[in-house]
Amino acid sequence: MIKILTACGAGVNSSHQIKDALEEEMKNRGFDVSCEAVMIKDVTEEMVSKFDIFAPIVKPDLGFEVAIPTVDCGPILYRIPVMAQPVYDQMEETIKGLNKK
Amino acid sequence: MGSIIHFANSIFNPIIALGAAPVMLIVLTVIALLFRVKFTKALEGGIRLAIALTGISAVIGLLTAAFSTALTGFVKSTGIQLSITDVGWAPLATITWGSPYTLFFLLILVCLNIVMIFLHRTNTLDVDIFDVWHSAFVGLLCIFSGANLFIATLLVLMIGVMKIINSDLMKPTFNDLLHNDNNPMTTTHMNYMMNPAIMVLNKIFDVIFPWLDKFDFDAAKLNKKIGFWGSNFSIGIYLGVFIGLMSHQDMKAIFVLAFTAGTCLELFSQIGNWFIKAVEPLSQGISNVATKYLKGRKFNIGLDWPFLAGRAEIWAAANVLAPIMLGEALILPGNHLLPLGGIIAMGVTPALLVVTRGKIIRMIVIGALELPIFLWAGTLAAPFVTHTAKLVGAFPSGVPKGQMISQTTMEGPIEKFLAYLVGHATSQAGMYIVYALLAIAGYILLFIWYAFQMKKRNQAYAEAKANS
Repeated sequence: MIKILTACGAGVNSSHQIKDALEEEMKNRGFDVSCEAVMIKDVTEEMVSKFDIFAPIVKPDLGFEVAIPTVDCGPILYRIPVMAQPVYDQMEETIKGLNKK
Repeated sequence: MGSIIHFANSIFNPIIALGAAPVMLIVLTVIALLFRVKFTKALEGGIRLAIALTGISAVIGLLTAAFSTALTGFVKSTGIQLSITDVGWAPLATITWGSPYTLFFLLILVCLNIVMIFLHRTNTLDVDIFDVWHSAFVGLLCIFSGANLFIATLLVLMIGVMKIINSDLMKPTFNDLLHNDNNPMTTTHMNYMMNPAIMVLNKIFDVIFPWLDKFDFDAAKLNKKIGFWGSNFSIGIYLGVFIGLMSHQDMKAIFVLAFTAGTCLELFSQIGNWFIKAVEPLSQGISNVATKYLKGRKFNIGLDWPFLAGRAEIWAAANVLAPIMLGEALILPGNHLLPLGGIIAMGVTPALLVVTRGKIIRMIVIGALELPIFLWAGTLAAPFVTHTAKLVGAFPSGVPKGQMISQTTMEGPIEKFLAYLVGHATSQAGMYIVYALLAIAGYILLFIWYAFQMKKRNQAYAEAKANS
């Protein structure tokens, strides 16, 4: 199980769109992923440490170094498949790079 | 004609009599089908909207029932008339989506965007279907205030044009704030319609207080320190305790208030999630149709505002403004809103970020100056919000008549005043027509001035880029 953290303004609209899209696409590609959506202001180092990949809209300034791989997922929000594709590809490469099941 | 109306009524009246949740299940499902969404997905969206409406009603009932006694006691012990509970964005969004008019406004705004693209008046394709509710709210408030659908539609279209133009004006600033010239992200979000007013204050700041910029601090460090203490449920607890103490409740009642407030704020956010999933099939369907007809053209993409949420200044300013807002709410004449669900001012700080370009002291000072507009607008809209909440069965019996709900920091405060004035001008004529016309003229002129300032800024960006 790969655990992905995504975050946006209210922890509801944009990040849930990203969460649902990532879970669906990555499962279609054969990966077992679980994605959690939160408010970006609630993201802490401790929270991040419980996840494998951080998937923000755009890389944020959280006041600390994010120790896990970050994949910017904003293009998923465009609702245009050809623009979301590179994000999924990058996420797949990142998952493979984790060497984890 | 009479027989047609009779026929339409015989079909629609039994459906309307079912109540808001079933009506919206049917309406949302049908419209999603028209946009070629698969039946199962369309029905799923409709059902989710129905349960979101049902859930929101239940939680509003829970919160209102808990706060009713305390707010009455609050007024009695302090003399401060804060009889309107701030429930935050999720209830207002869901209630707005409880009206079929919202889907009508959605359709005209989608058409408006496509027309403006074809006429080359904008480069922005707006895929933020979710946030149409802000514009729909203005339209519905206008109707509630006395306008007919046609007049309300004109107002919504006027604001819609300006929002889309604004998304193009802001694009270079977004590139700057994101340090990225290669992404198409922009937004038509209603909160940025405060930009013109903020720009005025920012210019005044340039003249009177430029030295304050020296005191800017690291926003991310402040956010990190605040941590858990800024979460939804802890804020609910603080305010529950505050209200309980001020209304002289006993200790047990204070705990109940605090935990109920914390619970309701968390639940509102969760139900907001159901609501967004409800709209998701329609959003994707509309985007599929739009992008199919607009092939071969390079666009900016209009998103919800949180592509900027990674900027720490947004949260630092919101955290600092929260206690300021509470203080202002207590002393501001004409305000009857008690900050609660909307106290983390996400509807305010993104616009401050764009106009000041991240100067945190300016964001706080200007934010403090503009909060009264939001509080007054929230107070103004409370009768409409409460009325609509009752229509979806969200109010428990036994609540004192003066108790209402609204939101402190809902996007589009100035637009709410326009809606109120236009509505009254339509139904009451007289001086309201003068007020409405003057307000609209001022609104447009201010936007034109703002557009001029932004074009100067954008030209400076272009020159800096050319020289690098």
